[in-house]
Amino acid sequence: MTDAFDHTGLPEDEALAAEYALGVLSGEERAAVQARIARDSAFARLVEAWEHRLAPWAVEVESVQPPAYIWNALAARLPASTARPGVWESLPFWRIFALASTLAAACLAIFIALSPGWRSEPLVASIEGGGRRQFVATVDTARGSVVAVPAAYAGDPSRVPELWLIPGDGKPRPLGLLSGERTVTLTVPAQFAKELGRNAVLAVSLEPPGGSPTGQPTGPVIGSGPLTSL
Amino acid sequence: MVTPDNRMLLTAALQRTAAGDRVGLQTVYRLTSAKLFGVCCRILIDRGEAEDVLQEIYMTVWRKAGDYDPARASPMTWLIAIARNRAIDRVRSRPAARTLAPLEAAADVADPVPIADDLLEQAQDYARLHACLQALAAHERAALKGAFFEGSNYGELATRMSVPLGTMKSWIRRAILKLKACLAQ
Repeated sequence: MTDAFDHTGLPEDEALAAEYALGVLSGEERAAVQARIARDSAFARLVEAWEHRLAPWAVEVESVQPPAYIWNALAARLPASTARPGVWESLPFWRIFALASTLAAACLAIFIALSPGWRSEPLVASIEGGGRRQFVATVDTARGSVVAVPAAYAGDPSRVPELWLIPGDGKPRPLGLLSGERTVTLTVPAQFAKELGRNAVLAVSLEPPGGSPTGQPTGPVIGSGPLTSL
Repeated sequence: MVTPDNRMLLTAALQRTAAGDRVGLQTVYRLTSAKLFGVCCRILIDRGEAEDVLQEIYMTVWRKAGDYDPARASPMTWLIAIARNRAIDRVRSRPAARTLAPLEAAADVADPVPIADDLLEQAQDYARLHACLQALAAHERAALKGAFFEGSNYGELATRMSVPLGTMKSWIRRAILKLKACLAQ
């Protein structure tokens, strides 16, 4: 590290670190600074300190949603996971989770069934695909509502999961958008309510933000499961 | 989607990414790509190039996630630095110089105060930086802005503000000195 000062009284290294972090250097100067960062940890800390000082300014940058294909292109460039299988990939975990969530759904169903106003049996669907349980849905046929809880949902982050009811005729009816982070309660449109029965299937597809523009699934179906009574 | 837990979520996702977990990177991407793409679009202007650089940024995150130290910086600070450096490197690698609109010191009177951005979780840091930037001379602030948001180098800034290169260098260096003193208070 040099102790030179420029005419403003700023140590030369500090000024260079700030200029780099700010972005005013030429391409060759940036390359030289990057080489120095790699071999001089004291200088690297100066650069880092300036990056930290300036970063909060990025609050003023307007977010821009990148197109969906960017993530797909990125995912294709990544090597297969090298991580040791964590709890989310462990089969015993999923067996226990499946049992626990079925019990939870059963408790919920019993709770709903015992509550005033309940007139018919609750139905549940485990929406599975890609070797995972993506969502668990409980249907209150009397009130025409669906409660969907995310399980191991890991969809394309630029798209939203949409829930579909597929009755015996095989034609999907849109029920609404789900969330990968929280439980969502949807009201089944009155005209579809009569289709909610034991021979129907619930499915989830990935759609553009705001949901399918056509009223039919436009993206891949990531999971499905039949409605069953408890 | 933006919750006070995001910093923890993001830190945990970076740690999973460091262990080679793709779902970790996917979470980082889901939480931060819109902001980082915004940063790229401002600097690169060209959409296609910004998309390219956005991919490079997350490939860098994939390789370097192990270098992230939560004790030294917020995850967003670390990611913003990677994004800006990648985008600026790309601008500098272009064969032709850019033509950018003139920077007017006078036009820089009122900075819009941004809406709350929980993801950055830096409201206090931002308020401090903002106050220190407002304390600079208008021409100094305008020059810093052109560099930070659009990645303009000394030459471009001098052209955009119609001053000799030497003048621009001393403006920036004086601004750096003042900013450091103000932020240290």
